[in-house]
Amino acid sequence: MSSDKEKLIAELVNKGLDGDMDSVNACDDKIIRAKAKAMIMKVKKGTLDRPEIPLVVSDTPTNDHKEENVQDNVEDSFQKIKKMIADKFPDSLIEHDKGDYIQVKPEQWNDIATWLKSEPSLLFDSLQCQMGIDIGDDMLESRYNLHSMELDHYIEIRIAVHRSDPKIPSVEQIWRIADWFERETYDMLGIEYTGHRDLRRILLPDDWEGWPLRKDYQVQETYHGIVVPKMKEGWE
Amino acid sequence: MGVVHGEEMVLNIGPQHPATHGVLRLQVRTDGEVVSQITPYMGYLHRCFEKHSENVTYEQVIPFTDRCDYLSSMSMNFGYVVAMERLMEIKVNDRVEHIRVVMAELQRIASHLLCTGVFGLDLGAFTPFLWALRDRERILDLFELTCGARLLYNYMWVGGLSHDIPVGFVESTFEFLDYFEPKVDELENILAHNKILVERSADIGVMPKDVAISYGVTGPNLRASGVKWDLRKNDPYSIYDRFEFDVPIGEGQKGTVGDCWDRFYVRIIEIRESVKIIRQALASMPKEGDVHQSLPKKIRPPKGSVYARTETPRGDLGYYIESDGSPIPYRVKMRSPAFTALSVLDEIGAGWLLSDVLAILGSLDIVLGEIDR
Repeated sequence: MSSDKEKLIAELVNKGLDGDMDSVNACDDKIIRAKAKAMIMKVKKGTLDRPEIPLVVSDTPTNDHKEENVQDNVEDSFQKIKKMIADKFPDSLIEHDKGDYIQVKPEQWNDIATWLKSEPSLLFDSLQCQMGIDIGDDMLESRYNLHSMELDHYIEIRIAVHRSDPKIPSVEQIWRIADWFERETYDMLGIEYTGHRDLRRILLPDDWEGWPLRKDYQVQETYHGIVVPKMKEGWE
Repeated sequence: MGVVHGEEMVLNIGPQHPATHGVLRLQVRTDGEVVSQITPYMGYLHRCFEKHSENVTYEQVIPFTDRCDYLSSMSMNFGYVVAMERLMEIKVNDRVEHIRVVMAELQRIASHLLCTGVFGLDLGAFTPFLWALRDRERILDLFELTCGARLLYNYMWVGGLSHDIPVGFVESTFEFLDYFEPKVDELENILAHNKILVERSADIGVMPKDVAISYGVTGPNLRASGVKWDLRKNDPYSIYDRFEFDVPIGEGQKGTVGDCWDRFYVRIIEIRESVKIIRQALASMPKEGDVHQSLPKKIRPPKGSVYARTETPRGDLGYYIESDGSPIPYRVKMRSPAFTALSVLDEIGAGWLLSDVLAILGSLDIVLGEIDR
């Protein structure tokens, strides 16, 4: 057996003996996993001495270097934008540890949006996509994918509101396309965009009941006397 | 619509009207012949794409995407698989990438042919429409050769393709391109420099740059307004960074930058650029490679979300996919380029004559299947 494998086994055995059996189980190689487990049993019985902790050899592959760099740049620009928002609107930002989006509170959203569009180092002049989603726990979320044509960078902003009072300030006067996007989200999830000048249903009829993309949506039985077909099971 | 004054009239165009390119109702407020406000009403073709997607597995979503924009189904498939592969971190082999690019660009030609032909039809020229459809037919034949379907392909799968291209496809495509290139010049001659068409479309419905960006207008409509923005160049997906092609923009040759004529003419030039890409892709396509090589046995993406954009004939198509780790999508949102293009109609259409509004609508190249989803 090669020394690399021995080192790996020794490392796993040490981890396992310290109570971290998860990392032993997470090992992909079946043989190494089995050998490590066997050795742990032996050490516990006392028939074998505990192996020494091997020196950790860093094995970062060199060929992925370029890709990492690109990733780093994207990450850097995201962190920079996040910090700028945190400095400007400290009360609105909700901190979270996941990397790729910015979570803000709904109250100041209109000011933040105006600032994002006009700030010379950001210039988010294009709202790529706006979507609504039912994230469970009685919360609805509105997500905005912003893009700057001028500076070519992206961010995603998320605003969560409670189902009992789903109100988010409208940004339709900042990015005109938000007019129809917000109407669609209102249509599908019932999020009310306060300050929207023409908040009507857009794809469904005006007198449709309920918000179809909420997870607890019940299809209405009839519509103007027409029976609404239910979700079918299997093939017809 | 509020108060209607004595000289004003409210007119409904559609839902069943050939000029609306599908089932769309335009409520138009006119003062004599001049239009003062346009309110589009859509949803007549709403087939609950996003709701359906939450009830089927990831691979079963692909046939639904076909049916959204039925004039460029390949591009709709392409956008979805690009998003899914980014979410699942799948890398497909070079042969698959080349075939996908060829199909997407053939689709772009077919879609632009229909658009330019129908634009002529809207303005009263019948012959170019038939010419365009005649050539589009040859492309549909190529698709039929490949996957058996002429309109709704379900051809691109997550991690590969449904079939490899058949024997003789490359030769047939080269043969088609040789036949087709002179036909593009013919189409341009009969339409683009025709005096009637120029008078009906130049300086009409001008869309300035900032309006286009604010309304999220993308694709040929945005480029006609003078913005050099093409996802194939600016944010290359698949293997578009390997090919040489130009991004045509509107130059206001017959009138102002961003008028109907520019929007129409940009599409004609784009057909030529697509021909260039197809020639390069066919020439550099690897002979070996299994199109099913990277197909996952079970599509079960990790928990998380992805927003991916691709350039369809109508503009930036975005898919926002939220996964909860199960084989069924938690939420799929399609950001439709025709949806955003239609939203600008009131802004650029108000103030023109009623007949001009139909020319503007034709030049925006909307597909109602994609708007209503």
